Amino acid sequence: MGTASKLSVANAPSRGIHEGFLRSSVRYAHRPAVEVRGTMLTYDELRNRAMSLAASLERATPPGGTPLTAVFARRSTTAYSGVLAALLAGHGYVPLNRTFPLERTWAMLQRSGCRSLIVDAESELRLEAILDLSEEPLLIILPERTDTSYLRSRWSRHTILGASDLEPAGNFEEKPVSPDSIAYLLFTSGSTGIPKGVMVAHQNVAHFVSFMTDRYGICEYDRFSQTFDMTFDLSAFDMFVAWERGACVCCPSEKTLINPAKFIQDAKLTVWFSVPTVGVFMKRLGALKAGQFPTLRWSLFCGEPLPAEIAESWSRAAPNSVVENLYGPTELTIACCLYRWQAGKSEEQCLRGVVPIGDPFPGMDVLVVDEELREVPPGKDGELLMAGPQVALGYWQDPEKTATAFVLPPGKNQTYYRTGDRVRRPNKTGPMCYLGRVDHQIKIQGHRVELGEVESLLRQEAGVDAAVAIGWPVTVSGAGGIEAFVMGNKLEPQTILERLKRKLPAYAVPRRIHLLSELPLNPNGKIDRGKLAKLLGDLPQF
Amino acid sequence: MKVISVEDVRSLVLEKLQPWLDAKGLGAEEIPDNFDLLTEGLIDSMGILQLISEVEARFGITVDFEELDPENLTVIGPFCRHIAEKSLTVNR
Repeated sequence: MGTASKLSVANAPSRGIHEGFLRSSVRYAHRPAVEVRGTMLTYDELRNRAMSLAASLERATPPGGTPLTAVFARRSTTAYSGVLAALLAGHGYVPLNRTFPLERTWAMLQRSGCRSLIVDAESELRLEAILDLSEEPLLIILPERTDTSYLRSRWSRHTILGASDLEPAGNFEEKPVSPDSIAYLLFTSGSTGIPKGVMVAHQNVAHFVSFMTDRYGICEYDRFSQTFDMTFDLSAFDMFVAWERGACVCCPSEKTLINPAKFIQDAKLTVWFSVPTVGVFMKRLGALKAGQFPTLRWSLFCGEPLPAEIAESWSRAAPNSVVENLYGPTELTIACCLYRWQAGKSEEQCLRGVVPIGDPFPGMDVLVVDEELREVPPGKDGELLMAGPQVALGYWQDPEKTATAFVLPPGKNQTYYRTGDRVRRPNKTGPMCYLGRVDHQIKIQGHRVELGEVESLLRQEAGVDAAVAIGWPVTVSGAGGIEAFVMGNKLEPQTILERLKRKLPAYAVPRRIHLLSELPLNPNGKIDRGKLAKLLGDLPQF
Repeated sequence: MKVISVEDVRSLVLEKLQPWLDAKGLGAEEIPDNFDLLTEGLIDSMGILQLISEVEARFGITVDFEELDPENLTVIGPFCRHIAEKSLTVNR
């Protein structure tokens, strides 16, 4: 038997994940829905913008595409109105990020089959290349641009709408949403070098949001941080949990994020949500002083292992808040397990200085298994599998990968997702603890990176057969970066790096490439990663 | 105590940023004083925090966020001057 949830849920989930926003936009019409880099939009204003965009999508999206709309916007009001517009138009949203390499963005766009894009002013620089590359006619909506004449004349095969071409909000016609349709398609690192699109359904998110809003007693006076880019699924917590109850999402500029303490204070945040690394840096830089964040009610961390010392320091810096550690891969919808930090009790429940991941959300079932997918006894280690209403639909247009990761274990009658995470199955007294990755997937500052993907690109770009990527230096939450080893010396490391930079997001690009005449092997004939890691310890640190 | 010059800080910062500069095809000598590490897309906000904590560790100083204009914190010239000034107070 798996372990059923000890946590409870009060309300039945609603259907479309934007329905909570719509209800709040009536009830709290004049309260702030978002504050983006100093610009505030009320619920009323954001709804009107989103409806105007949605009506334009309904009118002008070219036929033949998938039920998806790309939102090529980052930390702007257009990013939020764009997400809501896609949902209102009955589409799932596909977040794109202008800080990602163009080739990656193009691969995501192409794979998703989107025919419509909503683009903010700052992402326009990257747009021209996409307009060139796409042979299919696209609808490009530029809500922040007034003059589109140049773009229209140069790319006549695409439909380009500026601010003055948008439909009035009143022309929007609500589309029914099926609970099992895609709410968002999020691309994660894939081991073959091709990003995998995770299809998350409305019903998955609705279940998550319903539990979270009740647990945290969210109300219209709450103010949420938005530390995550929309290409990171944790951003969906901030948006949909806040909007469900009329709260405000506070989105800082990237510069403001460098000083998170000031952001918390200036924005008078009540709900904080970030990767633990932010807390690690704040502590190291002396920014976690006792009693500093009195406005916070909830301090939530997710995305990588939470060091006990950070939970402890944070709870003292935010004395009126409860610290909770959340756990969950994108495939299980944002988060699906949690653990509440309790000073005096939690310290001894930590494993290797890492806060436990605790209990599954209501309705979610935990199964800790060995390599044959047989459940291990309580207190033993194994891979974490989970089933229930937050299990995503699978990988976009990839039945093979879906079948490998979404499985029916022996004797079970529902689909479990294989997380690839090693955990210790809880015994009667202790909570569930996280141990590490089963495969070579690591976390760099909360970003999931498949070392296999980096290695396959290394081999390809360096024109060699053997290349190894290692997470280094090792931190409690994963790794600080990647160091690469390449056999042979066909190319200068600099040249290889330049090529990788075009294909990988910055956090996944190796910091250094070491050329070796041969790679060390272990007795099984496999490349000895341990020896390479040891070598790094002996090399001078830059 | 050894006095840390702005140049010392600058060369450490550029050394740490070498892989990112390489990837952009930029040489250290081409980086002007008003180069903004963040807006130029060289590294993200987490990268900046990591850089600050590495610089702090190397020079044994503490960057005071209150003292430094956030607009300037990610600009290489003002950042290096701030670190050098801090080291003077620490070593005095």
